[in-house]
Amino acid sequence: MRSYIIKRLIYSVIIAWGIMTITFILLRLGPTSPVDRYILNIAARGENVESVKQAIEARYGLDKPILEQYLTYMGNLLQGNWGWSFSTSQSVADLIATHWIYSFQLILLATIFAIVLGVGLGMLAAVKQNTKVDYAASIFSFIGISIPGFWLGLMLIMVFAVYLGWFKTYYDTNYPIWSLQNLKQLLLPVLALGIGELAGYLRYTRSAMLDNLRKDFVTTARAKGLPEKTVIGKHVLRNAVLPLVTIIMFDLGSVVFGGAYLTEIVFGIPGLGQVSFNAIFANDYAVVVAVTLIGTFLVLFINLATDLIYTYLDPRIRYD
Amino acid sequence: MKGAETLNNSYFNNSLAAIMAVLILATSLSACAAPASRGSFIEGDVAGGEAETLNWILAADASSFGYVGYTLESLANYDNQFNIILRCLAKDIEVSPDGLVYTITIRDDLKWSDGSRVTAEDYVYTLKNLMFSDWLNYNYRDDWHEDVGGQKVFVTPAVVDDTTFTITRKTVQPEFIYTLYGLVPYPKYIAVKYEGDVDAFTRAREFNDLSYTGNLGPYKFKQWLKNDKYVLARNPQYFLGKDNGAPYFEEYVIKMFGTSAVMQAALEAGDITYCGIEPQNVAKFKKMHNITVYTVPTRGYNIIAYNQRANGWEGLRKKEVRQALSMAIDKETIARKISLGFAEPAFSFIPSSSPWYSDETVVKLGVPPLNDKQKAMQMLKDAGYEYMKNGDRDILLGKDGKPVKLLMVTTPGSDVVESMSLLIKQELAAIGIDVEVKWVQWPTLLRQYMMNREPGTDKEPRYNNGPLAVSDEAWDMTLMGHNTDPLAPSGSRVFFASDGGLNSFGFFNEQVDQLFQQIRSEEGLDKGERARMYGELARMISEEQPVDFITYTRANRGFQSNVKGIEPGINMGYNYYLWRFE
Repeated sequence: MRSYIIKRLIYSVIIAWGIMTITFILLRLGPTSPVDRYILNIAARGENVESVKQAIEARYGLDKPILEQYLTYMGNLLQGNWGWSFSTSQSVADLIATHWIYSFQLILLATIFAIVLGVGLGMLAAVKQNTKVDYAASIFSFIGISIPGFWLGLMLIMVFAVYLGWFKTYYDTNYPIWSLQNLKQLLLPVLALGIGELAGYLRYTRSAMLDNLRKDFVTTARAKGLPEKTVIGKHVLRNAVLPLVTIIMFDLGSVVFGGAYLTEIVFGIPGLGQVSFNAIFANDYAVVVAVTLIGTFLVLFINLATDLIYTYLDPRIRYD
Repeated sequence: MKGAETLNNSYFNNSLAAIMAVLILATSLSACAAPASRGSFIEGDVAGGEAETLNWILAADASSFGYVGYTLESLANYDNQFNIILRCLAKDIEVSPDGLVYTITIRDDLKWSDGSRVTAEDYVYTLKNLMFSDWLNYNYRDDWHEDVGGQKVFVTPAVVDDTTFTITRKTVQPEFIYTLYGLVPYPKYIAVKYEGDVDAFTRAREFNDLSYTGNLGPYKFKQWLKNDKYVLARNPQYFLGKDNGAPYFEEYVIKMFGTSAVMQAALEAGDITYCGIEPQNVAKFKKMHNITVYTVPTRGYNIIAYNQRANGWEGLRKKEVRQALSMAIDKETIARKISLGFAEPAFSFIPSSSPWYSDETVVKLGVPPLNDKQKAMQMLKDAGYEYMKNGDRDILLGKDGKPVKLLMVTTPGSDVVESMSLLIKQELAAIGIDVEVKWVQWPTLLRQYMMNREPGTDKEPRYNNGPLAVSDEAWDMTLMGHNTDPLAPSGSRVFFASDGGLNSFGFFNEQVDQLFQQIRSEEGLDKGERARMYGELARMISEEQPVDFITYTRANRGFQSNVKGIEPGINMGYNYYLWRFE
């Protein structure tokens, strides 16, 4: 198992390096330039676009050949220098170190919320199939999947912040991360981000549970006189949860790679989603490459973790 | 009794007089006393409007200069009538009669954070060693260049004494003074440590946290969390606050929002103090008792640029055709129905809010009597084009006998621009021209449609590569927003002069070139003469119609009603340090 993990980690580094290199080259070969966003300001000042362009490119070394830029970047990266973000005027390492926590707390809480309630309600709906509880859960999951997260976010703000005044209209970074006020203000963003996932998990869990409830081993367990709680919790859920893990981990990867961005935008949470999105629009190459690299590593790590969780949930799975 | 009564009365009267005197004194004192500083003023802004750096010399965006401005005053700014308001200047800049030497005298009470005085040496050092240097590549160095015998040379700054320095030019440029008013210095004692090393200068802590700004601005830097907020704390040492205790907010915060909908919800909920309001929401906010909405002019306007290069419809190279198209587009309807009254018809590159705007000289195409579709069709016929009937519709035919179909390119994301483009399509359909509207992203618009080069050459694409150059993609019209400096509109030569760096639509007119040149020469020194030349230039461009100026835009600013001291106008922030909560 250890050699398997080491091998996967080595593969991860190679894949991440490849993706980083492709991103680095594509960004520079692409049709956009950091100067694009200044054109109107340059025009309003009656300035010469070409001389401003040359000044910017010379200052940030963008006028050098791509290979030279790449070698410089890699050299710096190996020394732990991620570069300088010219659109935020700080080092990329500082930028990421400051902002990751805002995304992390949102993603973590939304995922916990979605898993706990989604799996719980899914189990309930399966156990109480064709009852009012099951119908209510189905309707809820249908609505939850259908509502776009950003729209739900706006509605939550209008109702709970503007009309009822229970929350601020935006995420207030004055509250410490580890505080109740922060937890309270994360409630609406977590709902906006988590409802869709919750609805999905509810449906998957219900379906997987029903599938397993009909299997022979459940009949055997019940015939053996095992309590219903044990049958459902130990036998049915454990078998049902395996495909669910794949879906949850896949969702987690999607959220990490930008799914939380819209929620961050709506609630004004200064997380990595916003950082990367703004960097793309600003053609802030150093930040775009860094967040791509981090995102790639996270997804590779999540995939590895998924594979390892399989072995725990299903002892028949072995990577030796 | 009477005596006692008299005594009592006298005592009462004296006491009353004393109480009255105390009350009057107290009232007058309170009236004279400076308002107490309190609270946080929170300004809302949407993503994209955030500054990039506080190290202003590296900035190319407008917001960065704005962010720094809270902590660092320039030499002067302007009120809503464009009167010069002295800031770091002790007196207005003196210009020699020949227009070549500018003498700048700064106040003697300006201090850096270490307590040392801000001197003329700091300004001259900033110019010579930083802005004019080769190693730093200041983006806007062209502001300080002049063309001498075909060579670009820098103006010459020189220290006279601690508070006085001069800038000497070799050529006259009457509008150069506006560049000077905006000048802010770097502290020489810090900057010398980083001189010559662009990387170290870029990362210099002092320049990125503005810890050097001393008493130079009403606020001091406190915190900047990107994509979230920029926080400034009241500066009790502010040189303009010595007598009046200004500024009156303990904190000034710029809060970023991902969407304008949430930002306006925050204003409605009272979570922020001020933000811009979109036209469609103005009526709602005006009904709220806790919000005051000010409608103010801006320096922006919308245009349709007509492609006069070889890959545009050949008709657009004729003045009469451009005039006919502009005549068919009803600007008043656009201002009223699309901008909901928060715009006015535009006819010139000089905004109507500019002191150089001349309403008498411009040709007012697009408003009655020059908004006439029948006349527009007649003009097209007079220009040699024919119409054919298709049912009830008249269809304009090109020289090749085929119906004329024009491509209008614009960017997505703005309801106003989208509605405007559809209305323009409708208006031109009424004179028999079919318009296809194409929405492309900004970088695509720049690369594929605005940048051009001569076919068959290896020239690097630019926004104006001469009269023979064309863009990669063919186009006929672009719809976009522009901005002009109302005090120095000659900066618009970048669009309308033959060698203008942004003349992507290919407008070449020698008389226009000459007038732009004259405004920026000795002839322009006389303000009356400059006004006449601007009037003539505006007439010529409105007649030539290289672009159709659609509307001058107005902005709506929503404030919590307890904010006092605001003077609504185009430069309404000029006295923001005097704003206060009631």
